[in-house]
Amino acid sequence: MLQKGLCVDCGACVGICPYFKSHAGKIAMLFSCNLPQGRCHAHCPKVELDLERITQATFGKPYDGSPLGHYSEIKKARAGARLQGRGRFQNGGSVTALIAFALKSETIAAAALTGSLGLTPVPVLATSEAEVIACAGTKYMAAPSVASVNDYLRSGIGNLGVVGTPCQIAAVAQARLNPLNKPGFRDVVALTIGLFCTWAVDTRSFGALVGDKTDACAVTAMDVPPPPASVMEITTTSASYAIPLDEIRKTIPGGCAICPDMTAELADVSVGAMEGEPTWNTLIIRSARGAALVEQAVRGGYLELADLPLASQENLARGAAGKKKRALLKAREDRLLNVDPASGRSAMLIDDSVVQRILAG
Amino acid sequence: MSQLHRAQKGSRHLLMGNEAIVRGALEAGVNVAAGYPGTPSSEIIETLAELATELNLYVEWSVNEKVALEVAAAASFAGLNALAVMKQPGLNVAADFLMQLSATGTRGPMVLIAADDPGALSSVNEGESRPYAKLMEIPLLEPGDFQEAMDMTRWAFELSGAIGNVVLLRTVTRLSHASGNVVFHELPERESVAQFQYAAGGGPLLSLPVKARHEQQQEKLRQAVALFEDSPFNTYSGPDNPEALIITSSICTLYSREAVEILGLTERVGILKLGTTWPLPNKLVERHLARADKILIVEEVRPFLEDEIKALAAESAARIGIKSFYGKRQGLMSSVGEMNPDKVVQALSHVLGLPLPNTESPYEKRVTEIAIEGAPNREGTFCAGCPHRASFWSINTALSMDNRGGFVCGDIGCYSLAATPAGFTTIKTLHSMGSGTGIASGFGKLGQFGMDQPAIAVCGDSTFFHSVLPPLINAIHNQSNLILVVLDNDGTAMTGFQPHPGSPVNAMGGGVVKVDIPAICRALGAEVVLGDPFDVEGTRRTFLKMLERTGVQVLVLRQPCALSPEKKGKKAYDMAVDEQACLGASCGCNRLCTRVFSCPGLVWDEKANHSRIDEVMCTGCGVCASICPVGAIGMKEFA
Ligand SMILES: Cc1cc2nc3c(=O)[nH]c(=O)nc-3n(C[C@H](O)[C@H](O)[C@H](O)COP(=O)(O)OP(=O)(O)OC[C@H]3O[C@@H](n4cnc5c(N)ncnc54)[C@H](O)[C@@H]3O)c2cc1C
Ligand code: SF4
Repeated sequence: MLQKGLCVDCGACVGICPYFKSHAGKIAMLFSCNLPQGRCHAHCPKVELDLERITQATFGKPYDGSPLGHYSEIKKARAGARLQGRGRFQNGGSVTALIAFALKSETIAAAALTGSLGLTPVPVLATSEAEVIACAGTKYMAAPSVASVNDYLRSGIGNLGVVGTPCQIAAVAQARLNPLNKPGFRDVVALTIGLFCTWAVDTRSFGALVGDKTDACAVTAMDVPPPPASVMEITTTSASYAIPLDEIRKTIPGGCAICPDMTAELADVSVGAMEGEPTWNTLIIRSARGAALVEQAVRGGYLELADLPLASQENLARGAAGKKKRALLKAREDRLLNVDPASGRSAMLIDDSVVQRILAG
Repeated sequence: MSQLHRAQKGSRHLLMGNEAIVRGALEAGVNVAAGYPGTPSSEIIETLAELATELNLYVEWSVNEKVALEVAAAASFAGLNALAVMKQPGLNVAADFLMQLSATGTRGPMVLIAADDPGALSSVNEGESRPYAKLMEIPLLEPGDFQEAMDMTRWAFELSGAIGNVVLLRTVTRLSHASGNVVFHELPERESVAQFQYAAGGGPLLSLPVKARHEQQQEKLRQAVALFEDSPFNTYSGPDNPEALIITSSICTLYSREAVEILGLTERVGILKLGTTWPLPNKLVERHLARADKILIVEEVRPFLEDEIKALAAESAARIGIKSFYGKRQGLMSSVGEMNPDKVVQALSHVLGLPLPNTESPYEKRVTEIAIEGAPNREGTFCAGCPHRASFWSINTALSMDNRGGFVCGDIGCYSLAATPAGFTTIKTLHSMGSGTGIASGFGKLGQFGMDQPAIAVCGDSTFFHSVLPPLINAIHNQSNLILVVLDNDGTAMTGFQPHPGSPVNAMGGGVVKVDIPAICRALGAEVVLGDPFDVEGTRRTFLKMLERTGVQVLVLRQPCALSPEKKGKKAYDMAVDEQACLGASCGCNRLCTRVFSCPGLVWDEKANHSRIDEVMCTGCGVCASICPVGAIGMKEFA
């Protein structure tokens, strides 16, 4: 998987065993472990991700290839009065708000979030509101966030909340199935909040790109404004820069090109930016557990909800469908989709009829 | 062995080859000896150093072999008896000076001892010293047994004094390190006074005018050959007109004699054993060649003697007739590895058309069988508690995490083992002393061709002084990018803790100036970081940070060798495996501790399914505690 250049540095394999470590935004295998099968492969979102099996296990429904996955409601949202103005949110601050509320209401005991050290994203296990707020803001670099889930599993405490990109949420969903039937396994994940994602960038090559323009360690925020803008905005302690997306694209890891999921379809709640309203979020409520949390957070003054215009929903679905189609075409071209097990390993397994439906869409 | 300088003439002693050489040098009245440690030569300087104070000798471990040869040459120039000692690769280092020295000639008697290691028992090559005699145009002597090791050393001084040039004496591992009986001669009683007579009595020592000096040098060789013709070190044994003649030298003499005896051929085969192997004493060799038509040449590694003898036979063909030669050129014997009696038996059987005797005794056969069936595969590894294992663990994992395909250019020392699984195959190039840094200096300049792999060099403390300084300066001056890791374990550990310029004592035990490695590197302009290899996490973090920077950086990892006198037997920590915590085969680690880290102090208990400390082997360094992913290995400080 590493050799095929598909790694998206999600961190699923880090902390399971001592052979994987993440450094400067890349997963490294320290020594070859020679076990015939390991959790590292079983949890990896780029090795035989069986979308039917994982969707059934998460929602009790089939994987139908619909652009936004299974959901009960799509809203627009932002942090409620209790949190307004308290952090440097990426958009509406809904993610920070939901996690802060989940901690406060003891729905979760800790949250696996992503902070940063200079330009390098690092996994953070947050247990206080202040720690959650400190993690606000998107780091567009692929991050080993799932590593702290593995650390947490070992601690034996339950009720973990996880915030992650679609691939990270997929890794967590796989780990929750205990795929290798380890004795004594316990599902400790009580909440998953997915982030929308079109692509991420590789920390080192992106760092080099930014380093050409400014001190990479001084970066305080980054954003990709919606089209027609085609730049990434980088804010440092003293100035801001716009880097053309064409340059940025060269630093995207190969694994993103075959990623069919834009809206974190396996999460309880998914959160993304909102077209035209940068201080609001798009919120997709998927599971009953997600719906309950959103409702309580609104009541507790942590979250504010409003209706999302239909046109925005349609645009979102169009974008998500486009990503799916591109991903499947690329995966098929690279022989990574539904490969005959005798001739190699697939990155993804999707029922052929669903593949046809997506490609026809 | 204190007997060496006390025992009287005529007394018989069991001596190691290297000790016999020392006695020979003492009998010749050696005053000054210098060398650089290297197996199998080290005991010569070590033994002389022990006797130095009592006999008023000056003995030193020099910074490298070239300097050793220069230090010894100075003694000769001042009229003293001088000895330089090194292993074969060291001769390569000293060769530049040797070329000039052989041209200027010497004053006091001067002998250069080179120890070869056929079969590379303790070397990274099986390089040859013999061709150097020819290249440098100096006489070559090769002792064939222990008595000769002593007698020939003594005579080498005499020869040097007679011709006024340095004499090369070549020994090999099986002679230097084996033991045999030696009968002593007299020790001289004389006062030596040193003075360099650069005016009257010789003039300055220059290789100019070149042609005149070269002419003189070759005249010295002619004088040597004249002496070789009658030398008692060249002997013949066997019938007057044998069916085949073996020509041999060095330790191969013993193998040849044994082979002739095994085959019961003492009446049919003659052995010409040569002790003065270059330049060959033509007349003597021609006389013996005339005895037989079939000539078998027995020597180790390259066909040096074979080529010389064939050339001579061609010149003498009109007088002695055409001979059939057997040896390495036509493939009868191998040009690699050590010689042994069995190989000679096979070759001799072929030469005489005899059936191959059954040399394998039932006992030997059974031993071989048992070895193949039962003996575990024991690859070379670092000792328990060796700081190198910890250092390479940190370097290796940091390079993997860094993810740019970084690699280590290795160097010569115990740590060369890091080219094998013992050091996680971290070393990717391994050449001569100092070369790791030179090569890394070159790699570090390839950025303009798109190379972004970090280049790392490692060296030991002794190697640092020996030959890392020039390439380090080169890297700094040429603005290369490299990290040099100095694995400072407080001595020349591989060859037995000889002191080096970083030590506070010299070979003779006297107090000397300790040269500070970090200070030198800083003064040269390198970024210097100090670390403790036993702090695995800290070292890795430091190293990862260094990998982010450019320029020449030096990381000095300091921790005395596990076998060093100051550490031996002393454990810093009491280590124990928590049997409950060690998840055994079900841990995701798949026995990281005993499968990958593999310290001999930590063993896998197959039955109990957990790892366990081997109390006898464990040195209590505490490193494995930070390797175990579940923290099952505990350490308690000794009160
Ligand atoms: C790599 C990446 C690509 C994205 N691409 C898109 C896109 O194309 N379209 C879109 O609408 N939205 C995208 N998003 C989501 C968007 O940027 C916001 O994160 C989202 O709208 C939530 O905003 P917020 O104000 O609620 O977040 P905040 O309240 O500011 O919280 C942000 C949360 O994101 C987490 N986080 C930050 N960086 C990472 C990371 N690298 N990996 C995992 N978690 C992280 C932090 O833990 C924090 O909890 C992307 C996010 C990421 C990380
Ligand atoms: S595009 Fe897909 S694979 Fe790449 S970071 Fe986003 S979710 Fe992960």
